[in-house]
Amino acid sequence: MESLLEIRDLSVSFDTSQGELKALRNVNLSLYPGEVLALVGESGCGKSVLCKTIMKLLPENARIKNGRILAAGKDITDYREKEMERLRGRLFSMVFQNPMTVLNPAVSVGEQIGEAVRVRYPKMKREEVLKRVLELMDLTGIPEAEKRCKMYPCHFSGGMRQRSVMAIALACDPGILLADEPTTALDVTVQAQILDLLLMIQKKLKTATLLVSHDLSVVARVADRIAVMYAGKIIETGTSEDIFYDPRHPYTRGLLRSLPFFAEKGEELYTIPGMPPSLTRLPRGDAFACRNEYALAIDYEKEPPMFRISDTHYAATWLLDPRAPSMENISLAWPDMLSGNRPEGGGENSV
Amino acid sequence: MKIKIFNREICVCALLATNSICAKSSAEMGKTVRGRIWLYYGRKIFNFLVSMLFLSVAVFFVARLAPGDPLRSYYGDRVEKMSPEERERAEERLGLKEPVLTQYIRWLEHALQGDFGISYKYKRNVSEVIGARLGNTLMLGGISLALILILAPGLGIWCAWHEDKWQDRLVCRAGTVLSCIPEFWLSLVLVFIFAVSLRWLPGSGACSPGREDDISDRIQHLILPLAVAVTNHLWYYAYMIRNRILEEARAEYVLLARSKGLSKRTVFFRHCLRNVLPVYLGLMAISVPHILGGTYIVEMVFSYPGIGTLAYESVQYQDYNMLMLLSMFSGILVMTCSAISRTINAWIDPGMKNTENVLDGR
Repeated sequence: MESLLEIRDLSVSFDTSQGELKALRNVNLSLYPGEVLALVGESGCGKSVLCKTIMKLLPENARIKNGRILAAGKDITDYREKEMERLRGRLFSMVFQNPMTVLNPAVSVGEQIGEAVRVRYPKMKREEVLKRVLELMDLTGIPEAEKRCKMYPCHFSGGMRQRSVMAIALACDPGILLADEPTTALDVTVQAQILDLLLMIQKKLKTATLLVSHDLSVVARVADRIAVMYAGKIIETGTSEDIFYDPRHPYTRGLLRSLPFFAEKGEELYTIPGMPPSLTRLPRGDAFACRNEYALAIDYEKEPPMFRISDTHYAATWLLDPRAPSMENISLAWPDMLSGNRPEGGGENSV
Repeated sequence: MKIKIFNREICVCALLATNSICAKSSAEMGKTVRGRIWLYYGRKIFNFLVSMLFLSVAVFFVARLAPGDPLRSYYGDRVEKMSPEERERAEERLGLKEPVLTQYIRWLEHALQGDFGISYKYKRNVSEVIGARLGNTLMLGGISLALILILAPGLGIWCAWHEDKWQDRLVCRAGTVLSCIPEFWLSLVLVFIFAVSLRWLPGSGACSPGREDDISDRIQHLILPLAVAVTNHLWYYAYMIRNRILEEARAEYVLLARSKGLSKRTVFFRHCLRNVLPVYLGLMAISVPHILGGTYIVEMVFSYPGIGTLAYESVQYQDYNMLMLLSMFSGILVMTCSAISRTINAWIDPGMKNTENVLDGR
């Protein structure tokens, strides 16, 4: 299948006072039409940077060092501001993490959605724009749209604001939706609603979605495919099945194990030991090696390549090298629940 | 004497009454919407009156306690030849023998009736003297205020749009240097260049003698004082507006606005500036006393017959009544302007409007 968005060998660095900060290192990713691809990782591993790189909304001290971004078959890596303006909103749009701050407090919600509509249809008449705005508000589940479109963001709750942000993002029927932690800043009860909404809209409009999250339980409910990121690198990709039932990278396993769902009563919750490395001073070899219980000597010397497990499943760990010790010995520390019997459907993993 | 005591009671009663109205209204009137609005304004007015009272007390006592001889402004150089008896009689006549507190209460009684006393120096009612000069100051202050109100946002927006490019850096540096030059020094330099060396413009006064009604002559006299007043305050406000805009340009909503396909220019002018507008209007309302006050020194250096010169003289010559009225005048100006700025902000900012709706009982 032809991919809608393809990222090849992309590296992005920030020039900071502490030197070069390698936010993304040789990222490869493809997003296919109609699918939900989840990008999972700890805070600061480069998820948001990837989204902003695609949108070319990075701050001025950031630069693309190498790699290409292909959107709808076109290479947009070297696109300038003017050309990007034509793509934003139409080809891809973005839902942001914090709905409290991304809406302009001085502009009414309806006007902010209307602006996005006008980007695509600049000659549209006032009444038609309003009609489309109400339609969008209806689609994203904002009740009493006619009354509310005249209100200002300060009159909206967090969930309502996130719905408005989604209405803005969907205003021009984008082919690709980049959802950068859309539920993180919300109440747990609202999180589920927004997630359901995202899923519903995705099903309805068939928008290819890149869902960024640090929360595996969120991802489990919606993602078709998952890419796990660590220290600016994608370390494992696969379908949801692959990642949840057959995780191969020790980091992915660590993430899954630390879900409260798998904790035994009376035991402490599992955490991955240590901290992610500083992106300005990355260690030699595998960036995860020093936190890895199963690190091999080579992990400290050389970065592992992507090993193929199946057509859909890839992971970057030396443990998959044929010369590495067998995984059987390693699964000792692996909870029984995860190793053998698979529960039915992915939904149960959501906590 | 009885009447005076009566008056004293009136002013005390007036203050107490406002106070009790406020207390009463919070208990009873607070229940209705209209009551709440009355309560709101009642409190405002009460605060205003109390502030004015404190201001008058402070100025009155500080002026009396400062060293100097008020008789000098009334009698001029004759004071030095006065015998002690004559002095005593003169002081008694001006009411300066009594304790300061008694003097203050008497001043307050008269002031509440609209009588602010006579100027020791001009031997006329202070309000009369001020009234004659007010027009000149309003002209100088008003025009410089208007110029700053127009130029400051223009300059601020221009700098913010060219952030960190050479245009912005140049203006920022030039502006900082210019606004750091003391007003009096800048005035003297300008007078030296344009009035003394080049003889292009007059260096002092509001008009040439005998040409009081000649507008072009007045404008010529205004150019140098205006230049000083504007250069000294312009950058302060332009820089504040510039930084405020840049703060907005870094807000997260800019990312969303751009991610939906709006150009940088549209986001800047339609989104960022709209958020700066309430700040601008608030700033401008507060700037009124600042800029008008700033003309005082300019007036002095250019011997411009305005309120600034009067204020300076009144301090120099211990012209108590004049000083009191001018201070009260400034106080009213400052408080009114800040009240206006707050009202404007509440009116524009939807967030603050929200709290007002709560006040309306919605």
